[in-house]
Amino acid sequence: MLRLVISSVRAHVRRLLSTSLAVCLGVALLAGTMLLGDTLRANFDSLFQSALGSSDAVVRSSNTLTTDGEFAQDLIDGSLATELSEIDGIAVVAPQIEGFGQLTGADGEKLGGEGPPTFAGNWIDDPDLNPYELVEGRAPVTNDEVVINRGAADDGDLAVGDRTIVATPEPVEVEIVGIATFGGEDGLGPTTFTAFSLAGAEEHVTGQPGGVTALLVKADDGVSQEAVVSRVADVMPNGVEVISGDDLVDEANDEINADFVGFLRIFLTVFAAVALLVATFSINNTFSIIAAQRQRSSALLRAIGADRRQVFWSLAGESIVVGVVASAAGLGLGFALAQGLKALFDAFGFALPAGGLTVSTTTLVIAPLVGILITMLASLAPAVRASRVAPLAALRDVAVDRSASSRWRLVAGSVMLAGGVVAVVTGASSGALGRAGLGALLTAAGIVAIGPVAARPAGSVIGAPIARSRGVPGVLARRNAMRSPRRTAATASALMIGIGVVTVFTAFAGSLKSSVDDNVSAVIDGDLMIAASQFGGGGLSPGIVDAVDALPEVDHAVGVGTGPVSIDGRTRQVTVLDPVASTGLVVPDVVDGSAVAELGDEQVAVSEPIADDNGWKVGTELDVRFTDGSTEQLEVAAVYEPSTTIQDLVVPTVMWERHAVQSIDTIVVIGAADGVDIETARSAVESATTTFAPPDVLTTEEYVADATANINQILGLVYVMLLLAIVIALMGIANTLSLSIYERVRELALLRAVGADRAQVRSMIRWESVVIAVFGTIGGVALGLFLGWGLVTARGAGSFPIEFAVPVSQVVIIGVAGAIAGIVAAVRPARRAAKLDIIDALAASA
Amino acid sequence: MGAMTSTSTLLAPPRPAVARALAATKVYGTGDQAVRALEDLTVEIPGGRFTAIMGPSGSGKSTLMHCLAGLDTLTSGQVFIGDTELGALSDRELTALRRERVGFVFQSFNLMPTLTAWENITLPFALAGHKIDTEWLDLVIGTVGLGDRLRHRPSELSGGQQQRVAIARALATRPDLVFADEPTGNLDSTTGAEVLEFLRAAVRDMGQTVVMVTHDPVAAGYADAVVFLADGRTVGAMEQPTPERVLDALKTIGS
Repeated sequence: MLRLVISSVRAHVRRLLSTSLAVCLGVALLAGTMLLGDTLRANFDSLFQSALGSSDAVVRSSNTLTTDGEFAQDLIDGSLATELSEIDGIAVVAPQIEGFGQLTGADGEKLGGEGPPTFAGNWIDDPDLNPYELVEGRAPVTNDEVVINRGAADDGDLAVGDRTIVATPEPVEVEIVGIATFGGEDGLGPTTFTAFSLAGAEEHVTGQPGGVTALLVKADDGVSQEAVVSRVADVMPNGVEVISGDDLVDEANDEINADFVGFLRIFLTVFAAVALLVATFSINNTFSIIAAQRQRSSALLRAIGADRRQVFWSLAGESIVVGVVASAAGLGLGFALAQGLKALFDAFGFALPAGGLTVSTTTLVIAPLVGILITMLASLAPAVRASRVAPLAALRDVAVDRSASSRWRLVAGSVMLAGGVVAVVTGASSGALGRAGLGALLTAAGIVAIGPVAARPAGSVIGAPIARSRGVPGVLARRNAMRSPRRTAATASALMIGIGVVTVFTAFAGSLKSSVDDNVSAVIDGDLMIAASQFGGGGLSPGIVDAVDALPEVDHAVGVGTGPVSIDGRTRQVTVLDPVASTGLVVPDVVDGSAVAELGDEQVAVSEPIADDNGWKVGTELDVRFTDGSTEQLEVAAVYEPSTTIQDLVVPTVMWERHAVQSIDTIVVIGAADGVDIETARSAVESATTTFAPPDVLTTEEYVADATANINQILGLVYVMLLLAIVIALMGIANTLSLSIYERVRELALLRAVGADRAQVRSMIRWESVVIAVFGTIGGVALGLFLGWGLVTARGAGSFPIEFAVPVSQVVIIGVAGAIAGIVAAVRPARRAAKLDIIDALAASA
Repeated sequence: MGAMTSTSTLLAPPRPAVARALAATKVYGTGDQAVRALEDLTVEIPGGRFTAIMGPSGSGKSTLMHCLAGLDTLTSGQVFIGDTELGALSDRELTALRRERVGFVFQSFNLMPTLTAWENITLPFALAGHKIDTEWLDLVIGTVGLGDRLRHRPSELSGGQQQRVAIARALATRPDLVFADEPTGNLDSTTGAEVLEFLRAAVRDMGQTVVMVTHDPVAAGYADAVVFLADGRTVGAMEQPTPERVLDALKTIGS
């Protein structure tokens, strides 16, 4: 039997090769994902170890409000250091101040900003506790001396002795007195670091003398971290906590894994899952056709005495060979992929600490195993079908795949489809994302199941214009596509699932984009805006508003900031603005209560869904806890429609400043004076703010374009995914066509004999391929849009409302790509069909 | 041999040849493995007649037909249809020639399974993008008697009906000549006789030229003349053949 399997694999090597490629790609993605995940985790671990692990214990405020990865931590009293250093077993205590500060390069451009964080803090004198190490110059002494990391120095072309500006966000003129490295590297990844003296950091970064972010503790030799932590904990006042160095590293690891690495893993895993899913369809299809073609030899085997199991294994064995070979190749490719992705990260400036790929046994076992299993699983049904062939079939004539759609399939498929659609629709209308997701899976499964039933009518409709415009080849193409609906459907399914997933992503991103647009234009009424980068904690100095406000070209301006507060133990993001200044510039759509512009100092506005969820109304008194740990009772004065530009609550600046560590605006909205055109106002604002080195002054439209730029990046990734899905599906289509041609060799010969030229034969194959591809594409787009609608709607309102919008241009691109895939897939099979030797084919006894 | 050449050859009026093979040689393979399917063979197919080509297996009769029909090319020598020398034609020109000037009836698998009888019959027109010659087609379809079956697919037709559709398709373009390759090989004798009658009617009543390759003396009996082949050469000819005479002649060749 083994010999039979091997000889059979060898005979079909080409066809199996393209099937293998699908498995191989899926396994490669899976392995790559796992490898990269492990590698990132290991790299971040070693990074945090060197950044944070030098302390045996860290003392910090327990008032930490964490939201969406941003966190604002209250300061603690720096004088605690004296008390700590008296504890037995503690060698060194170093105060640490952490905040943000953006350096200006020698050319006047700001460093970093649109990406990695720009940290600022104090220089820690104890070399053991300071993860940075001076490589040039000296430590800062006066309040305007700084040490910067080598990466920032290189980027900004800054050297020891240079003077520059650090925006904290107040512009501070400083002199660079030293250059430092981080664990021997240029910096902590691509972040920048500006270290003042302790007094300098107190003055410029926090603005609160005596306050520090944390106290770093180093123990005497032989004293364990646990011992230090318990001794320190005994003497700590309320509102201050102590954590061991090891725990701190774990905490940081958990955070990055939950956040960045987690996101990356999910994203890559979705890629791998799509690839494997599409591969499963391709494999199933190929083996179905092989089984059908081999019906006669299977029957012959049965007739000469092979039992069913042997016939089953003759095909199943082939799938194992394919699975093993393809998975092994996929694993190898996965290594290359992980290397490539890592290099890509480096290129994008996410420079990770040095270190090769981390290879775990799990990766080496799981990835290939999944590949082998899905290959076997996909070939199970065809192998079983092959084993059931009657020995008499050996004597029958043509062995063509005539499998039609079964009733059982239709019923099961319809039930799944109906159940899925109901779940998606009800899930969408009631905001039950889980139900909608489950419904999405059911719908997709249902559609795949009833595919063969739909294939004939769909082929007929899609093929109609082709048949009309392409003459006989078109007519034949259409009918060939309708001929074995099961095969057509199985082939198209691969493409459909791939395109469906891509369309869901596209619909989601498109909806997000149009929602941002709607939201911004609904709330922002200003002419111009200055917006801080969305990442890295950079901000705008409140001085900018004052400078802009004073301009004659400007009517008035408002600074808008954000930050966390805690209400009833839950963290909420708030928008901070001066209500009076916001008049006519930032106008949330109020559904109840007074306008936001009329907010009093002790009042807040709340977004509608948050208010509804908590039963808050106009007049409700809320206990709002700020980052400094104190609580204020504030009255709800207005309820507004949720918007992406306004957070859960609006708090007046006056109230916020009482409790804020660092007062920062994230956007400044500017209204031009009457009769001043926007460009004049823009240049006036630009020249008035140069000392602050703020980001560009934008119109509202430009701001929206900027805000949605990263969505475009995500869409770019989605297109890569589209390409991948299409490539795999394309191989499936090419495979099916080749097999069909093999079966229809006599028809082709007859056509050629009665006068079809080669171009006509090619055209026939090509258009059949297009019908199949378009069927898959339309199915995929329809499925994707429906599920996209369901999921977006179910995700629904909330503090960040998204409304479903059809991304028309993207959908068109996907559709065209699908049709082109059909043409491309047909190139080789069509050429082979056209080259057919008529005499040989006529003589072929089929 | 002389016994096979009937005096009627001399009496028959001279007809212009619609197809000719001159010193046709076809060699498959090279070196030791070379098979000489046609060996310096010269033959003329007269117009308006029903000619049968006979010979034992491997005599080259199928190769001769394929080469005459422009499906295969000669190693050396020439083949003409009318005044057109096929060796000089490109694949595209050969295709057009097959489509417009030659008709085919094969032993089996004559029809595109996805097309109806009518679509199969008009296939050459559709491929060429030409208008259908309705009057002629009506005559052809009337002759083969398919009126009520035109909308059926081949799978819904009997073997005899399928062959009749194939004959109608072969005649549809009013070709210079129709090649029939064992057209009754897959049919029972009654149905086979019907099909042969249609071929003879096409020649007698419609003035068509038919060349039929067969190894069945009964089938050859329907032809106006028989050309005998052996080892790639013509080894004789017979006018007004009858099954008995053909059988006798074949015995002579075989020995």
